[in-house]
This record gives sequence, C-alpha cells and structure tokens, in this order.
Amino acid sequence: MADFIIAHMYPDLMNLYSDRGNLICLEKRLNWYGYSCEIKLVSPGDNSDYKNIDMLFMGSGSEREQGLVYQELIKKADQLKAAIDDGLPALFIAGAYQLLGNSYIDSDGTNLGGLSFFDFYTRSSKERLTGNILINTVLNEQELSVVGFENHGGRTYFEDSKVKPFGTVISGYGNNGEDKTEGIFYNNLIGTYLHGPLLPKNPSVADFFINAMALRKGIEITTKLNDDIENYAHEQIKDKILPS
Amino acid sequence: MKLRVILAILAGKLVIFLSRILGNQGTAMPGKLSRKIYPGILSALAKNITDEIIIVTGTNGKTTTTNMIAEIIKEKGYTVVHNKAGSNMIIGITSAFIQNTNLTGTKKFNYALLETDEANVPLLLKEVKPRVVLITNFFADQLDRFGAIDYIINLIKDAVRNTDIELVLNADDPLVTHFHHETGLHCWYFGFSDTEYDNTSSTENREGRYCVFCGHELNYERYHYAQLGKFHCSACTNKNPDYNFIGHNLKMRPSIDFQVNNIRITSPYQGFYNAYNLLATVSLAKLIGIEDEIIQTALAKYQPQAGRMEKFTINGKETILILVKNPAGLNQTMATMKYYATSKNLFLALNDNAGDGRDISWIWDADVEMISDKNIAVKKVVCSGLRSGDFAVRAKYAGINPDDIIIKTPLQEGIKAVVNGPGEINYILSTYSALFETRKILTAMERENTETPKQLTAEA
Ligand SMILES: [Zn+2]
Repeated sequence: MADFIIAHMYPDLMNLYSDRGNLICLEKRLNWYGYSCEIKLVSPGDNSDYKNIDMLFMGSGSEREQGLVYQELIKKADQLKAAIDDGLPALFIAGAYQLLGNSYIDSDGTNLGGLSFFDFYTRSSKERLTGNILINTVLNEQELSVVGFENHGGRTYFEDSKVKPFGTVISGYGNNGEDKTEGIFYNNLIGTYLHGPLLPKNPSVADFFINAMALRKGIEITTKLNDDIENYAHEQIKDKILPS
Repeated sequence: MKLRVILAILAGKLVIFLSRILGNQGTAMPGKLSRKIYPGILSALAKNITDEIIIVTGTNGKTTTTNMIAEIIKEKGYTVVHNKAGSNMIIGITSAFIQNTNLTGTKKFNYALLETDEANVPLLLKEVKPRVVLITNFFADQLDRFGAIDYIINLIKDAVRNTDIELVLNADDPLVTHFHHETGLHCWYFGFSDTEYDNTSSTENREGRYCVFCGHELNYERYHYAQLGKFHCSACTNKNPDYNFIGHNLKMRPSIDFQVNNIRITSPYQGFYNAYNLLATVSLAKLIGIEDEIIQTALAKYQPQAGRMEKFTINGKETILILVKNPAGLNQTMATMKYYATSKNLFLALNDNAGDGRDISWIWDADVEMISDKNIAVKKVVCSGLRSGDFAVRAKYAGINPDDIIIKTPLQEGIKAVVNGPGEINYILSTYSALFETRKILTAMERENTETPKQLTAEA
C-alpha cells in the first residue's frame, strides 16, 4: 500500500476544469519528499470508509452533475462531516465547495439543497465572475499570497460570521464579488473558487495539505524542495494582476 | 438602394486601401462600416455566387480545411470568395466579399467558401443561402466548459432546420453525428476505418463521452483522436452512422498518405487531426463534383499555412512551427513528435490574451507527460510568452528535469535559446497571439542563415 492515499471523488462527474493538476502536484511533491502516493478514484455507490484515506479532493461539475453528487453524498453526509471535523485534509473546488453549504439556488430559483456542513448558501447568476485572482491567506501562521483563475456563476454568502474564508480578496471576485471573502477554511479543509492548477502555482498551499496529511500519521517533513519554477510562475501572475 | 450598395462597397474598399497603406492587417473594419451603410450588403453580394455557397464550421480544423478546399477549387479553375486568416465572424466574411467584388458590386464568382465561427453560423444563415454546411468536429475549447458547446450546437440545429441545406458531418464525433436526427436534413458522413494509430482506451477525452440522446455512457471500440472514434451507446441505438466517405490505409511517416474511398491522397501535412481535415476536404470536393486527379494534385502540393505546421531551417536544423490552442491540439502535436526518431528542442510560447483564452489551465488537461518519454527525446524545454511560468511548472510536474527547463519570457530570447539547444530538430509551439511575432522571428533567423538553402520538403 502507498504511504499516502488521496481520494479523487467522483472524477467522472466533477471534472469541469483542469483540476487534475492539483492531484498531479500532490502526488509529485509527495514523491519528491520521499513518499509514495496513490490516487484512489471514488465513484458513486462506492462505500466510503475514510479510515484509510489521507486526503479528499473533489473538482467542479455542471449543475446537473453537482445534483447527482449531492444525491450520493447526502446518504453519507454524517460520516463525511465526522472525518472533516477530525481534521481530514480536503480540497473542494467551485461546485464541490458549493455542495458544502446549506443551499444552492439555481438559475430558475429552485433550491437544490446542500450538505449543510457550513452556514453559507450559493445563488446562481447568469453573469459569470471570471479572471485572474489574487488573495491573501494565513496557513500555519504564515501570511502568504495565493494566485489562481476563477470562473463561476455562483455567488456564495456566509450566513454566520463564524464561517472563516480561505482568504481575503486583493484582486478579483472571490465568493461573491462584494465582501472580499474567498472560499472557506475549516480545520484542514479548503473550499475555493480558484479552479484549475491551484496547487502547482501555490506550492505553500500544496505543502499545507502534505504536512497536514503527514502529521496525522505522526510524520514530520523537514526536507525543503526547490520551488524556483513554481515561485516564478506565482510571481509572474502576481505581477500581471498587480503591476508593480 | 442600389446607391447604398455602391456606397457601402466604396467605403469598405476605401478602408481596406487605407489600412494597407498603414500596414494594418485588420479585417473587421471594412465589413463593419459597409454593414452600417447598407445592412443588406452581404446578402446582396452573395447573389453574385453562380454555383455554390459552402460554409465550414466546427471547433478545430476550420481554417486548414477551408484553405485546402479553396486550393482545389482554384486548381479546377473556378473563382472563389474565401475569407482568410481568422476573420470568420460575420463582419470578417462581409469584408471578404467587399474586398473581392468590383465597385458596382456585380462581379460573379463560382463559389463562396466561408470559414465560419460556430456561434456566427445562425447569423450568417440569415443572410446567405448555402448548399452545404460542413462540420469538422466539436471540441472542448475554453468556453465549452460551461455547456456553451451544447448551446451552440442547438443554435446551429435551429438555424439549419427547415432549410434544404446538405450537411457534411464527421461520423466519428458523437457531438456531430446527431444532426440528422433533429433536422431531418440530408447528411453526408466522413470518417476513418481502423488505423494503426488508434487506441482502445483514452485518457484525454471527456466531452462527448455521454450519449446525446439518453445520457448514458458511450462505449468506444477505438479512439482515433480525442473523442473521435468508433462508438456505440450502452443503452440506446446511437452509434456511428454509415460512412459515405471512408478514410483508410492511413500512414503518417510523418506526412500523411491515405485513401478516401478509392482515391489515394498524399499531403505534406502531419498528425491525425490533419488527416481528418484532409478527409473532410476530399469529401466536400467530391460532393461538388471535382475530379479525383484535380483533388490529388491540389492536395499533394498544398503546404501548411502559418503556424499550422510550417517548416524553417535554422542553423541547418529543421524547425517546425505549430499553433496550439487547446489540450487536444497540444496532445496531437506531442504525439506527432514520436514519428521523428531524432532528439528535439521544444519551445512553447504561452500567452493569455483574449485571442488565446484568458485561462491557461487547459495545459493541465493535456498529457504533457508524453514529452518526458525517452523515445520522444526532448532535450530542452524553453518556456516563453506572458505565461511562461505556467508552462514551466507544467513541464516540471510532467517529469522534465528542472535543469532542462529554461524560462525566457520574451519571445526573441526564448527562440534564440531553443535553436541553440542540443536537440537535432526544433519544435516551436505557440498560442494564437504569439504566433505572428514568433513566425516573424523565425523567418528573420532563417533569412540570416542564407548559407543553408530553404528546404520545403515535408519528408523526414
Ligand atoms: Zn443512448
């Protein structure tokens, strides 16, 4: 068995964006740190035992596919929430992130429900929020910038001030284009609208997940990887967004 | 009314003349201005087409296919109005008519060959009455991720319904084959039988994996290229229709040699996607009644256009320029590399301007891992363009040694680095907005090396 197992949840349904870059990134970095990694594909109907899983990853899907995943997950919601409460690292992108809230109101005004893990809701809108985005976040007590690309019709609003965003928007839209929040952050879970290759361009976020996975196994990773190329890409986008 | 036609033509031609003096390549302005003066200008000028109007649309291969058909029509000695080089919106098409007509707007042409952006097909059909609409394929581009492709497919379906248009369709693309079902139009199909390049499994495709009729998963016996292949639905009767034009005996060594029904076609083009373009071209040429020999002659001598696999010789090394704009295209380009047994230097100019798509995430959907294959023998990867960093990261995570990755954001520096690399041939890849600059630099470099004669043969 591999040292670390990452569950890729419902890739046949939730694969709207180039999200696989995140998995390639986690797997490669674990290898470079000296550990093996297996990406386990989870399909609807598979039994979900989170005991042997080190991390969850779910990408985005269309409204229809999001609905199918919701039907699947609502059956196993308690188990999933318990694992997240227990600190299971998890990355949920866009549509997957929206599922974690209380409700999702589609373009016709129908409430499609939500897993209600966190107190927020999402309202769909025709006008998409699209473009490069720069946010600031704090991971392991370190302030850092995160860059990415967002493209979402949904506007997410927190219903409880205790819900913590993943970051503060410096440039771009984030959750709703209004309140400067982006995503959610809870234990070792991040939900975000930054789609595509989020982790490769933000190696500190990748390492946040890797360290969290390792610590749960009692492993402390002290090696430092050479991230010159990743940091170059990060700075290039940052310069583009905020020309100095 | 007649006066307004002439005024519209005059104004358009004046703009074309002025922009030439200013060294401007813009193709939109003449059409825009003429349409403002006389909105019916395109319909009026389209009446000068004596034989047929042909529309070519689809995601990939429109330009190459249209250019090759134009070449065949000219070889036959017919006259043609043909919109060139990326001006495939209704305004650009209007400009092409303005440019070709005379001042009174009465000059006759045998054919109009209109490369048309998918979303512009319904608009165009309101103004011109074609005999044939050819659909190359429907692929995931930047926009397709939001159901835009379904939306566009439905728009085109609605626009052709209740007309007497004949459709020429890719029988291997499940996103195209269903057009007959809801339109009832006469459809002609082209497709490939089994080839030695097929796969029985595919990782790259994802659009079109589900049946358009019942939503169940499609089973593929073989994939030719991306989602193009031999498929049938797991739940209903949806499958490839019978072919009218069948491509077989395909050989890419690396230039293309194959048969369409009983016509042998050889071409300097490479790559399976170009085999599809050739197949579509031959199918259409046969439908409009052109003789086999004329088709064969025109295609055998027709050279790839700028960026669609163009060859240069720099420092004595073969240098190939290729436009890439989506994962399928990049995959296909990387796949052609394995037909060359020699070592390579690879360059990619990745831009994120409007013409390229602002989101460059698609490079993660391409199987860049291919280039770390020892058989492809990529010695250096030079990353250039506004998003050079993103491709450098992609290459690193695809298994390329970071020491072999060079980041040179300015195109001039990047191209200089790649042609000085240790590989025996240079592959120069570029997204749309960096293509013309890249081409200019390569042309200048080739000219500097006059001691090496330019080689245009496509044989490797
Ligand atoms: Zn079906």
